[in-house]
Amino acid sequence: MTKRVLAVLAIALLAVPAYGCVPELSGGGTRTLEAGRYTLAYRASPPEIPLGKHFSLEIAVCANAGAPLPDSVSVDAQMPEHRHGMNYKPSIRREAAGRYRADGLMLHMPGRWDFIFELRAAGRTDRVTQSEVIE
Amino acid sequence: MIRKILCIGVLTIAALPSWGLAADNGVLDFTAGELRRIMQHGPWPQAWSPDPSNRVSGQRAAIDFGEQLFFENRLSGSGKLSCGSCHVPERDWSDGLVRGEGMQTVDRNTPNLVNARYHRWYGWDGAADSLWSQSIRPILNDKELASTPQHVAQLLRKDAELACHYQRTFGKSPATVTDDETLLVDMGKVLAAFQETIVAARTAFDEFRDALARGDRAAAARYSLPAQRGLQIFIGKGNCSTCHTGPRFTNGEFHSTGVSFFTSKDRVDPGRYEGIRQLKESRFNLLGPYNDDPARTTAVATRHVDLVQRNFGEFKVPSLRNAALTGPYMHNGQIGTLREVVRYYSEINPDRLHADGEQLLKPLKLSAQEVDDLIVFVESLTDFRTNWKRSTGGEPSCT
Ligand code: HEC
Ligand code: HEC
Repeated sequence: MTKRVLAVLAIALLAVPAYGCVPELSGGGTRTLEAGRYTLAYRASPPEIPLGKHFSLEIAVCANAGAPLPDSVSVDAQMPEHRHGMNYKPSIRREAAGRYRADGLMLHMPGRWDFIFELRAAGRTDRVTQSEVIE
Repeated sequence: MIRKILCIGVLTIAALPSWGLAADNGVLDFTAGELRRIMQHGPWPQAWSPDPSNRVSGQRAAIDFGEQLFFENRLSGSGKLSCGSCHVPERDWSDGLVRGEGMQTVDRNTPNLVNARYHRWYGWDGAADSLWSQSIRPILNDKELASTPQHVAQLLRKDAELACHYQRTFGKSPATVTDDETLLVDMGKVLAAFQETIVAARTAFDEFRDALARGDRAAAARYSLPAQRGLQIFIGKGNCSTCHTGPRFTNGEFHSTGVSFFTSKDRVDPGRYEGIRQLKESRFNLLGPYNDDPARTTAVATRHVDLVQRNFGEFKVPSLRNAALTGPYMHNGQIGTLREVVRYYSEINPDRLHADGEQLLKPLKLSAQEVDDLIVFVESLTDFRTNWKRSTGGEPSCT
């Protein structure tokens, strides 16, 4: 029993990637991604992304050692298998240092969608993609 | 009893050699994934709530007034046409024609008005973002009622019966409202209040879906096997439920299915492309001054909708509830029957689809039985309740 718990713990520890910094966002459904000079975390609101309804994303970004905080952050979503994106252009608002909120996203078909985050600073763009499957 | 079940079992298996499905009491063996998808097409009816952008939505006085206006010929420029000329209750609020006939023939097929409360976009091109703003368009359109704000406002101020309804609904006499456009918009809102009451009833499919949800196989078995097989194609190899999603069988968005968008030899219907342009220009959209909801809670879609090249030739995915009652089909009424629609999808020509578009529609090459099954399934989404009666019979109801 104890051994099993230990084993699970060990796996859990191994599975946690070491991020360059820790974004200030946590709670159910939060995903954390490595994005070049940054670490980015996002959470959907409502937490389970609904098919065919508008939803928002809360986004937190922190800069890995030495990098400046981004000047701008953007998010888009694409459906690679159908070769199209969303019918809506999300608006993004900075709420505090390193905290953003994107409104107006809508995934209108079931299947695989890729979120694409872009973080710009000092003339450079870091980009990270994360897939979500919507039923 | 047992023998009968066995007998049905043998028959079904014999009838479905290639499906390889074990039928138990006449219910197909749906996989967990299929069951999840079936559940997403319900429950029905959906919850109803008033439209926050329309201050008279859901109010009895407005609904009664709206019903009267809907059939009021004097609303039109010629005095001979009303909304009810094209949206005929006995034809499930459509007209059975290829394209609508108003002052002139319009470019598009008349959609039914069932479940209009629930749409995000109105019109085949989604040029309106609320039921009340959509209701203003045909009043002013030269090919439909060909009226003007002045004409509508004067009618309202001068006719005692209509003025009485206005007073009852808005708490003031229309004679005290000097701005014609304000009265026009109020008429849109009253017409919307009435149309919001037109909701499809439950269907054979809804009974089946809910029986599966309860685990009641006996009740589920009342849904015919052809309908069940058609459903399986709809959510499976047919890919239909990728666009015709949810309880209304539409994602409420716009796609190209390769239906021609030429309205004549040298004229095209740009569909969604022009729809977004008109929406953004319109004073009657949800970002404009006539939205009664100061918080603009229902304006998210309008605020964020994005115009892109691929919108050219895209049309709204129609709801399939009661589709069996409302042929001809597609935005231009080009396809006459459900059978031809299903054949169209089965034989679709990929060259006709946007080159940069979706890789979704492929010729399905359905067998004759699969075509039949898919039709039986779409027919099972029909409520067959076409006996709507006017509540007043048209006589004066306000004094
Ligand atoms: C000449 C026939 C005609 C008349 C008259 C007419 N309509 Fe329509 N209606 C249509 C057609 C055609 C469409 C599709 C329009 C489009 O795509 O641009 C439509 C679309 C609609 C829709 C949108 C339905 C949907 O699913 O998107 C509503 C709501 C509607 N009409 C209400 C009305 C009201 C209210 C009136 C009276 C003020 C009216 N109509 C008068 C033919 C007509
Ligand atoms: C790519 C999205 C998409 C898929 C997949 C799709 N449809 Fe459609 N469907 C549409 C659109 C968009 C229209 C309207 C096209 C037009 O008017 O030009 C439509 C129209 C229809 C209509 C006509 C309804 C009316 O009132 O005019 C029927 C019936 C229909 N589809 C059934 C099906 C069936 C059955 C399948 C699967 C074999 C299917 N659809 C797959 C998008 C789709």
